[in-house]
Amino acid sequence: MVDTQRLSRTTRPWLLLAPALVVLGALLIWPLVRVVQLSLQDFTLSNLVSGEDNYIGFDNYTELLSSPLLWKTVLPNTVVFALVCVVGTVSLGTAVALLLNRLGPVWKWICSTAVMVAWAVPALTGTYVWVWLFDPLDGLVSHVLNALGLFDPSTTNWFTDRVSFYAIAALNVIHHGFPFVAITVLAGLVTVPSELYEAAEIDGANARKRFWSITVPILKPVFAVVTILSTIWDFKVFTQIYLMPGGSGGNDQVLNLGVWSYQQSFAQGEYGKGSAIAVLLTVLLLLITGVYLRTLFKEKEL
Amino acid sequence: MQGVGVPAAVAPPTTAPRRGRRAQTRSRQQSSPAGRIGLGIAVAALLLFTLLPAYWMISTAFDKNAAFRGADLVPSGWTLDNFDKVFSDDTFGLYLRNSLLVAGVTVIAGAMVTLLAAVAVARFQFKFRTAVIVMILIVQMVPLEALVIPLFIQVRQYGALNSLLALSVVYIAFSLPFGIWMLRGFVAAIPKEIEEAAYVDGAGWWRMFFSVLLPLVAPGLVATSVFSFITAWNEFIFALTFMQDDEKYTVTVGLQKFFGQNTAEWGPIMAASTVISVPVIVFFTIAQRRISSGLTAGGVKG
Repeated sequence: MVDTQRLSRTTRPWLLLAPALVVLGALLIWPLVRVVQLSLQDFTLSNLVSGEDNYIGFDNYTELLSSPLLWKTVLPNTVVFALVCVVGTVSLGTAVALLLNRLGPVWKWICSTAVMVAWAVPALTGTYVWVWLFDPLDGLVSHVLNALGLFDPSTTNWFTDRVSFYAIAALNVIHHGFPFVAITVLAGLVTVPSELYEAAEIDGANARKRFWSITVPILKPVFAVVTILSTIWDFKVFTQIYLMPGGSGGNDQVLNLGVWSYQQSFAQGEYGKGSAIAVLLTVLLLLITGVYLRTLFKEKEL
Repeated sequence: MQGVGVPAAVAPPTTAPRRGRRAQTRSRQQSSPAGRIGLGIAVAALLLFTLLPAYWMISTAFDKNAAFRGADLVPSGWTLDNFDKVFSDDTFGLYLRNSLLVAGVTVIAGAMVTLLAAVAVARFQFKFRTAVIVMILIVQMVPLEALVIPLFIQVRQYGALNSLLALSVVYIAFSLPFGIWMLRGFVAAIPKEIEEAAYVDGAGWWRMFFSVLLPLVAPGLVATSVFSFITAWNEFIFALTFMQDDEKYTVTVGLQKFFGQNTAEWGPIMAASTVISVPVIVFFTIAQRRISSGLTAGGVKG
């Protein structure tokens, strides 16, 4: 009796975990191994049909890393865009959390519901709305700027220019991403003992000083986590770029790593090259996560 | 959408005492008239920024002259024509049905797999437990954009392209890590004594699971289900790649094709976007409190 109980205590957790581990292994971990294998192959449409492997060593990587498109366009697009979005998302999210924390119950409810709405609008439909708002001919923004004499709709199309294209994309991504930061930081703010602020106030510290010397140090782990997550998300933004005019590969100038990988694979049929780009993206993400985690562990914050 | 799949290593401690209500009220009373005007401006700006896209989408959908709307903040006339256009042939209804099917399977099957795994991690001490938790956290970092190539090749080999079930299984894998992480907190919050009382009454483990744990953890299951529903409903890249026949499209892919054919027909596009987004927005705002508590629950215990 006791023995069967002990046996079931050791096997039961694994029985319970089994379905999850099978799904994660087959659909996340094995494909990760496969994408590395594919990146070492000249895997094209014909291989897709025959199912045969075709290893060529590191040729895809040599080609990728010697491509001016990568260094001049795709990597800067990806990195600069991610940086702008992370800084924008985290600072706007924090500002909104501080604001929500100061409001009375009614306005707090109204504002946090509005923030939830921004979060809930799907990336896909959200992107269409931003494209519509910035439509060069008929959009709200062009009309307003035209009325102010700042913009001539007949000569400008900001979706073809790299910088304005990504400015609109950044607005979209920040709008969609800041609610998560706001809600998380707000949850953290509630835990900061109010005595600390009161003491600092008596010592004559102004709001800015109180924020930087009390809130930021205490909430450092929270900021670390939201920054890591935003960085990861913003490096691999796909839908929001792919669905903008020219974003799905029609305009080389606005490619980022995710879209480039997808376009190489599914539009060009070069699955090997696409995989090499995908591996590059994954390695970049792991490096960033690793660097963050190292600093955190060094400071014993996690 | 970005916020969903919210991998939350997010763990702001929630056990610390809430900031005293008295202290909050006092700090609000102390604010000067200038301070209050500033607060009002900040609230107005926040509401404008967060709600403008959703408002613009919905109001364009009902606008009689959507294409020539320009800078009119209120539609010149209200109409249902745009919705009529979207539903005029049956395809959009078919896409809705496909999306509901995929999301339904993802939520129901996903909830079971997630709950079993969460119970294992929260309730049992076993060898490699920490390793399993760390693995679950790490697989969240894998960019799904990198997995679409190998998964497409695999799914194609199994002849499962165009299969709504295959798509659901992929979505279950995507929502698992976050779901386990989030539910773990809910399970850990249930006192062990309640479980033991069931054993004393002569119940076996599975009996206890269904009659004690399951009802108690139901609110947590609602929160994770909302997330997995939204993940499945909003997902775009995998649906775009896997679903190749028109009648198998989900709403996101259907809308993208629709957009391709009807560029600048903003009325119908916004009407379709409204149909896709509003259920998610409503769902999300209703579950708002559960979601924010779920985001923090992951780190409370366990």
